[in-house]
Amino acid sequence: MSRALKVYVVDNGGQWTHRIWRVLREIGCDSKIVPNTTPVAEIDADALILSGGAPRIAWESPKLGCCVDYLKEFQGSILGICVGLHLMAVHCGGNAGPAEIAEYGLARIRVIEEDDLFKGLPREFMVWESHNDEVKSARDFVVLAESNNCKIQAVKHVRKPYYGVQFHPEVNDTEHGQEILRNFVHTAKI
Amino acid sequence: MFDSQKFIEEELVEIRNTVKGNAIIGASGGVDSTTAAILVNRAIGRNLECVLVDTGYMRKNEIENNKKMLSTLGLNVLVVDAKRKFYEKLKGVADPEQKRKIIGELFIRVFEEIARQEKAKYFVQGTIAPDWIESGGGLRDRIKSHHNVAGLPEKVEFEIVEPLRDLYKDEVRIVGKALGLPPEIYERQPFPGPGLAVRIVGEASEESAGIVREACAIVEEEIEKAVKEGEMNRPWQYFAVLLPCKAVGVHGDLRAYGNIISVRAVESMDGMSAAYSKIPHKVIEKISVRITNTLKDHVSRVLFDVTNKPPGTIEYE
Repeated sequence: MSRALKVYVVDNGGQWTHRIWRVLREIGCDSKIVPNTTPVAEIDADALILSGGAPRIAWESPKLGCCVDYLKEFQGSILGICVGLHLMAVHCGGNAGPAEIAEYGLARIRVIEEDDLFKGLPREFMVWESHNDEVKSARDFVVLAESNNCKIQAVKHVRKPYYGVQFHPEVNDTEHGQEILRNFVHTAKI
Repeated sequence: MFDSQKFIEEELVEIRNTVKGNAIIGASGGVDSTTAAILVNRAIGRNLECVLVDTGYMRKNEIENNKKMLSTLGLNVLVVDAKRKFYEKLKGVADPEQKRKIIGELFIRVFEEIARQEKAKYFVQGTIAPDWIESGGGLRDRIKSHHNVAGLPEKVEFEIVEPLRDLYKDEVRIVGKALGLPPEIYERQPFPGPGLAVRIVGEASEESAGIVREACAIVEEEIEKAVKEGEMNRPWQYFAVLLPCKAVGVHGDLRAYGNIISVRAVESMDGMSAAYSKIPHKVIEKISVRITNTLKDHVSRVLFDVTNKPPGTIEYE
């Protein structure tokens, strides 16, 4: 490879935004954190990760800045984490809102389809969660994983290189988190 | 992987370019500020003065031990006794965020006074990533006001230098080790800047500080003993918290009515997420017996906290 993959982290104000950057750096990516108000024309990355954050999808989506522009115009793989996933689902015609049962901390997920994100990983493992909202329906997405209290834990778009996770692979306590992020990075092209 | 040598080389250049003249550092004796002190000392030498503030909320024997430790490392150390100021300003204050802000401001006013005496234009802090992340700002919600970030008053008299700002605890430990710190320093468990004041839920009086100080010492001693004897691994952080509620007990056929202590021990790498430690019941029992016996006039009950982060945080306030 002539240069490292450029994977930028779009900051939606999450507690773990900086963690995503750190894991990408450990994987060997060229990464930086950019505010979600960065115009799409200024983003010269190969792939994007939309971070989680406090904004509630149903009534605070303006706080997600230019994230919709990235979904419309950015050419490359995009991974939405938590609120990043919620926005992705809504943008593609699905639905997201307050979770019936919110999850904080430890949860077990079951992989339904390995696809790209879960390549080489066990069928069940423990992850770290922190969400008040959830995806209710994901049009044009295949559901890749679920937990007992949240049926949409990971998705992949049927045509576009869009991936989403409800849990937080960037958190050290999540099992196989770094591998999931590495699997995502492998979907990106220079 | 994180390259500590590269980090140190880059930071030394950066510090030499920024700090022209005398500087002081807020040094607690913890991993972050000690690592920052050694780094800055390596860049500008004896122009750095370490200011160790006795807030009245430090752990048992901590001021004396840390003073000795910092001096042994070849640093200039000045201890400032600010106990009375802290106790006075925190009198009657129960709100955790207000407590943190008062403490942040008191710290800075002490440092400003020393900076004037020392003719220092630069103030170094051992701020690390979780401090500013959790302090919030912009889109990010404030989880707690870390004294060194959101606890700072709007106007300060000096330029603030924070060489470890982008690092997490585990990376700071690697840098500390690379800078030649002994393991008993770079492996030290984290201790919050506001000290025992945030381990007293509600008003942090001098008396409460005495109780929680003793309880913290017992938790540390018992856990460290069990680790030494191979009964368990050393948790990432372990301490006691004094809760603002009471419970009934029975002491030698007499009714007792005392406070409740919560024992907290967690496993983490960077403090941004944590799982409670599954420490052996035998060890928890020893801690409980010792706390309720030695602090019999104050504590009638001991609880063990089984909350992860999230949904909890590691400290209580």
